[in-house]
Amino acid sequence: MKKLKYNIFGLAALTLLVLSSCKKYLTTTLTDPKQSNVSYYKTPSDAFTSLVGCYNGLDLIWNGEAIPPLMEVFSDNCFGGTGASDGYGWEMLDEFNKVISPSDVAIHSGAWKNYYQAIYRCNVLLQNMDKVAWGDSTALRRQYIAEVRFIRAFCYFDLVRLFEKVPLLTIPTVANVPQAGPDSTYGQIMLDLRFAADSLPSAPYTSVPTGRVTKWAAESLLARVYLFYSGYYGKSAIGSETAATALAAVEDVIAHSGHALVTDFTTLWPAASLAKKVTYAGEANPEVVFSIKYSSTGDYNGNITGNGWMVMTGMREQSLYPYGYGWGGCTVDPNLVAQFDQSHDSRYFASITDIAGENLAFGKASANREYTGYYMKKYSPVCDSLNNPLPVNNYLVAQSQDYFAIRYSDVLLMAAELGSPNAVAYFNQVHQRAIPSATAATSVSKADILAERRLEFVGEGIRYWDLLRQGISTAASTIAANTTLSLINDGTGTQPSASTLQANITATRGFQQIPSDQITLSNGVLKQNPGW
Amino acid sequence: MLEKKAKHRRAQPILLLLTLLLLNFQSFAQTADHKITGKVTDAASGQPVAGATITIQGRRNAVASNKDGVFSILAQKGETLEISSIGHVSKTILITTDAGSLNILLEQSAGKLDDVIVVGYGVQKSKAVTGATAHVKGEDLAKLNTTNALQALQGQAAGVNITSTSGQPGGGFKVNIRGAGTIGNANPLYVVDGVITSDITYLNPADIAAVDVLKDAASAAIYGINGANGVVLITTKTGKTGGKNAGQISFDGYYGYQNAPPKTKLLNAGQYATMQNEAALNSGLAPYFTQAQINALGKGTNWLDRMFASNVPVQNYNLSATGGSDASAYSLGLSYTQQGGIVGGEKISNYERYNFHTNAERKMYDGALKIGEHLTFSFINQYGILGAYNTQYGQEDGGIYGNTLRSAFATSPLLAMYDSAGNYLSSLKSTVYNGGPWNTQEANPYALMVYNSQNNTKTQKLFGDVYAELQPMKNLRLRTTLGLNYSSSANHSYLPVYDNLSIYAYNRYETINQGSSVSYTVNWDNTANYTFRIKDHSFDVLAGNATRKYQGSFVGGMNTGSTLFATFDRGYLSTSNVTSISMSADTSAANKQTVTHAMSLYGNANAVYAQASFFGRINYSYQDKYLASAIFRADGSTMFTPGRQWGYFPSLSVGWVLTNESFLAASRPWLNFLKLRASWGSNGNDGITAFNYLSLISLANAQYNFGGNNTSLTNGSYPSTIGVEKTKWETSRQTNIGIDAQLLSNKLNASIDLYNKVTKDWLVAAPLLATAGVSTNPYINGGNVTNKGVELQLAYNDRIGRDFSWSVSGSYAYNKNTVDNIPTADGIIHGGTNSLFVNAPEFFRASSGNPIGYFWGYKTAGLFQTEADVQAYAGKNGPLQPSAHPGDVKFVDLNGDGVIDGKDKTNVGDPNPHHIFGLRFAGNYKHFDLSITTNGVAGNKIVQSYRDLGAFGNWTTAILSRWHGQGTSNSMPRVTQNNSNWADFSDLYIHDGSYWRISNITLGYDFAKLAKLKNLSQFRLYIAAENLFTFTKYNGMDPEVGYSSTDASGVYSFGQGVDLGYYPRPRKTIVGVSIIF
Repeated sequence: MKKLKYNIFGLAALTLLVLSSCKKYLTTTLTDPKQSNVSYYKTPSDAFTSLVGCYNGLDLIWNGEAIPPLMEVFSDNCFGGTGASDGYGWEMLDEFNKVISPSDVAIHSGAWKNYYQAIYRCNVLLQNMDKVAWGDSTALRRQYIAEVRFIRAFCYFDLVRLFEKVPLLTIPTVANVPQAGPDSTYGQIMLDLRFAADSLPSAPYTSVPTGRVTKWAAESLLARVYLFYSGYYGKSAIGSETAATALAAVEDVIAHSGHALVTDFTTLWPAASLAKKVTYAGEANPEVVFSIKYSSTGDYNGNITGNGWMVMTGMREQSLYPYGYGWGGCTVDPNLVAQFDQSHDSRYFASITDIAGENLAFGKASANREYTGYYMKKYSPVCDSLNNPLPVNNYLVAQSQDYFAIRYSDVLLMAAELGSPNAVAYFNQVHQRAIPSATAATSVSKADILAERRLEFVGEGIRYWDLLRQGISTAASTIAANTTLSLINDGTGTQPSASTLQANITATRGFQQIPSDQITLSNGVLKQNPGW
Repeated sequence: MLEKKAKHRRAQPILLLLTLLLLNFQSFAQTADHKITGKVTDAASGQPVAGATITIQGRRNAVASNKDGVFSILAQKGETLEISSIGHVSKTILITTDAGSLNILLEQSAGKLDDVIVVGYGVQKSKAVTGATAHVKGEDLAKLNTTNALQALQGQAAGVNITSTSGQPGGGFKVNIRGAGTIGNANPLYVVDGVITSDITYLNPADIAAVDVLKDAASAAIYGINGANGVVLITTKTGKTGGKNAGQISFDGYYGYQNAPPKTKLLNAGQYATMQNEAALNSGLAPYFTQAQINALGKGTNWLDRMFASNVPVQNYNLSATGGSDASAYSLGLSYTQQGGIVGGEKISNYERYNFHTNAERKMYDGALKIGEHLTFSFINQYGILGAYNTQYGQEDGGIYGNTLRSAFATSPLLAMYDSAGNYLSSLKSTVYNGGPWNTQEANPYALMVYNSQNNTKTQKLFGDVYAELQPMKNLRLRTTLGLNYSSSANHSYLPVYDNLSIYAYNRYETINQGSSVSYTVNWDNTANYTFRIKDHSFDVLAGNATRKYQGSFVGGMNTGSTLFATFDRGYLSTSNVTSISMSADTSAANKQTVTHAMSLYGNANAVYAQASFFGRINYSYQDKYLASAIFRADGSTMFTPGRQWGYFPSLSVGWVLTNESFLAASRPWLNFLKLRASWGSNGNDGITAFNYLSLISLANAQYNFGGNNTSLTNGSYPSTIGVEKTKWETSRQTNIGIDAQLLSNKLNASIDLYNKVTKDWLVAAPLLATAGVSTNPYINGGNVTNKGVELQLAYNDRIGRDFSWSVSGSYAYNKNTVDNIPTADGIIHGGTNSLFVNAPEFFRASSGNPIGYFWGYKTAGLFQTEADVQAYAGKNGPLQPSAHPGDVKFVDLNGDGVIDGKDKTNVGDPNPHHIFGLRFAGNYKHFDLSITTNGVAGNKIVQSYRDLGAFGNWTTAILSRWHGQGTSNSMPRVTQNNSNWADFSDLYIHDGSYWRISNITLGYDFAKLAKLKNLSQFRLYIAAENLFTFTKYNGMDPEVGYSSTDASGVYSFGQGVDLGYYPRPRKTIVGVSIIF
């Protein structure tokens, strides 16, 4: 019995020993060498790295869904196109008609998620700004906040234009947030852009590497947002922003940014430069007010730094130097081709690949749905002279051509439209750069400016919003009137009439389908847009 | 007297009735007794049976045999002796003479009452177990000659559903005990000689002594950390202490060939061209081929025939020695296994395993201290075909992308294998169609397999433990065990340059990948065990604690560019000498671009994962009649935030051995043993990702390219997860009621179990709304899943005459799986899109009221036969499918709203088997032995999709029954170029997945007795066939489809029963020898 007691004591001692060491045993440090939200956001350097993560959000937003080409598809510039045996999703979007591809109920799901991931990155960084030990770098703090808010505004502006009513989050949350009305979202966008415009230094654009948000980018985007909001909703002010403040913003860019037009329009675009054997102006040229930067390092291992959407607009399946092949989306409507003065306007060759006009031995017309003989050129993939797609490491996800989100010509034309006293001069700068032989205009109307914008920005995802900001009825009737209906092939066996097309666009009010997976996940808190 | 008693027991009328009935058989005749002597011998081993009970039927006196098996008893001529011994079939002998000596041979029984069951930190005799467990002897597994022990376990234990995830050698297994309790990893916990692991493929089945499956919560409880999905305890072979035998050496070896099961029939060239013509016509296009052209095409290439090799070798050799003395015991083993893959043959995929196994135990200080160890070292060397990567089960080959076999289904028979020079023919250079290529998008699948399957992985694993057990006094045992699970692996792969096989399939630059990883888990378990009796009450008390810590790291890299040797064998990172490649082969062009392709490297340490547990158990028995067991455990895990790390899990079980009651004593001639069991208990699960409670900052994949240079990146970071602090242990609660019985002189052994298992506080990575901002869904608690079922295990053995003995054993289980609730706004975990075919919609889900992973789609109602049919098929708003043509499929407007849309989709099939069964026959005649093992499932559905919606893929011959005119078919729609009838998911894709497989037939003959060599106790030659025949309605190559599709978030793989071109299980024929000295 004595022995038993002794052993029980021994056991108890052992148990205690194990117990006391146990707490330590279960205490975890981050042995997986990762930072957490608790350990991070300490130094200005942490803040900068996080800021770069927000910029990476801009590479992310169109990864998986080619939104810039789709913005062209929505407009009267082009058809959905794509492969002859592909699904009819792009035709559905082209015609604003869900019946064409009824199973495409979440076609924008990828983009919707990506935009909110970018916004989340911005919101988390803004929330943690005050945890950073800034010391005397308060100017840096303000600058970083300005850049983050610009990126957030850029994303919300896409979302609100595409879907109109979207959940508006300015702090991170997992809550089931209902959609905000457009006024709230535009209000927030303007607050962010005004903060950025007022906070970023008035230094020439060359003072920072291309890709960084500048005061000039913020002011230009502010004007673009104003024009769209005031145009579509017919309201003259968003918060304290009016036509006057928007004009002042772009006039400031024109006066102080150092931005300018490049001499030869063609040199703005890699494929056109190669085809015309002129030197590409590069991605850091004076005309780029704001661009989304892509690099040739993108891969399938999660490194989303390449331009993954350009391949959608490449010629279907066949490379013909210097045009690399792609999936044949955005086939150009001959009606757009007809708008150009082909022999004088340098923008025609720079913007549109004319299979017959350029004597291209293209043999894949039958593989391309809604083939028209014309492809978009500005964001065409390129190939080498042996017709190998470039870049060699992966032409699908490592295209490096930047997206020029705001060009200086847009700034000039916005200023003209907003009623600048120099409107005619601004217009002529743009017009005569494109057509050097053109005589200078002596007066410009809004219609002249919109017509000029159509030719200037073909393939850049701007036309549709220029239409929509003239009101849904103008947008719908213009698109219906300009579309070569006979070229539509949407799998239904019949082409829609112009009035059907107009009615469909009108029914959606010009907005897109909210992805059904998100509506389901929200258990109906998110409401579908009419017409979808 | 009896009547009086009965009156007192009026409360128990049933017992009374039984007692009366049974006692009436008693006979009271008595004459003179004579002395009968006899010897009881085990029929199988020839060893004497000690302690056998010898009774005279109808009388109360009984004697036991001594250690030499000898007994004597007084009996009369004409009486019947009953000789019974636990573990043997009882025998009755009519005494025909007044005296004499009897020689009694007892057959071993299928009954398992005396089997020692491993129950976690101890052993228990089967008859005393109060939980639901299944015990399978190692020899029953080893006899099936499988490469992996889990495959041998198929169908042997009721309620254990085992599915191979690929027929490729080295492929894994999915094991569900009593249904899937989660959409996540529902595999059980494996405990090998007391050390926890998640994978037992490293074991050679020949080294396994026994497998015990702990199915109910009360059984699993003592090992219950992460025991929510059940526990599989594996005991490896040990020597026996105290054995008189100085030791024995055994050798087992087999060699055989593997072949593909009957292959899916694909269209030949002529049939394919005919079908393409029909599809073109139905799509408003001109036909592609004239009849003369079709006639000239011949049969074309059968790509499945090309992909499968024949007579692929499989072999295994195992040499072992076991033995022991009074003070020590040992077991040594050495084995080698090799298995080639039937797809491409052993040059394309192969699996080799070398095992060294040693178990030893030594008693010291007169048995007061025992020390010992279990140790297995295994080295696995494998390579194989490319598969879609699956996060849960590792490399698998069953998805739509990168699936080597799938492309063989879809490539047209028009493409030839070789060109005139004997090289793989590029589809660009094919001349089959009007002198030119038919489809430049299709690539030779065999060539792709050869190019893309150049890889090798070598894994070393050291697994085992060292223990000491102190017995300071009788009945008290203190045991400490230190275990190690160490694994390291190294892999490399090489992608050669190859010219265009199609417009998409080519590789311009050699690529080398190389990587390695190491992981180690250390556990330390301490237990104290005290047994004592108070009169008829016996107690067995156990207390203990266990700690466990997992660590590891990995490193790897990739290099692109030309290599020094341009071969796989020498394809390692440093043999690639060029790290910068020109972006353009055209260096003179204005667009000359060069990218410096730095060797990409990665590496990290894994998160440390630690667990600690404290537990106690009391086993109680009253006269071996009333049994009870109570367990309580506290488990801590670093998976949860400090403050929520601990979970508490109680369990309780009781048993009643009715046959030990006196009122049943007389029924023992036919009812030898009867036990009722009941248990209730809970187990935990912490299977989530590390640091779920923190928002982690990712420093990877967040770079940005400021400036004018297209390759220079600035590092970025972003919060990649959302921390959820409230997450706690998941609990599975299970109630079990069971009966164990042995009947008919122990010849028949039966167990029946009923269970109800509810997984509560389910740990689920519930899909977040996009607005949450991260693509990784954090784990939260919520929702629950119920599995209810019945299990039946039966075994019968008997002998006919002197030379023929036989046994039949079977298992059957019925399980019903229901998701009760999912903690998201919509109550659904959505299946992934793009996983059935390119651009496919969601087709499976987990949602409330349905089984996990049910197929979600449209119901169909046959085909439109005429244009009038189309008009007549109307809902409340007129025709439901106005644009349909005759031959198109009718979708059912389930909700009657007059529109066919997503709201009409419903549960169109359950991939979970409802019935799982196995049946085994074993017989011995003289020196021959024969065993037939079968297993099967029923009630499950399979979704089959071998083809994308593109126009030009090949079809299986099932398409020949398509609609091609009124009345030609009401189930297989017309062919069209856009495959519109197949674009949405409907029950057209659903097939019955039930099957019954003859998994093994073995015939052996033992020459040992003929040879009459000293010490040779067995020299058995055998032939065996595995997977010989499968009875099934399923038209794919293998109805046991273990591939799982991932859900919408990419986290879970619960989309079961999806056949996208699945690597079938091979058919094996082997010849072997088994020698024991």
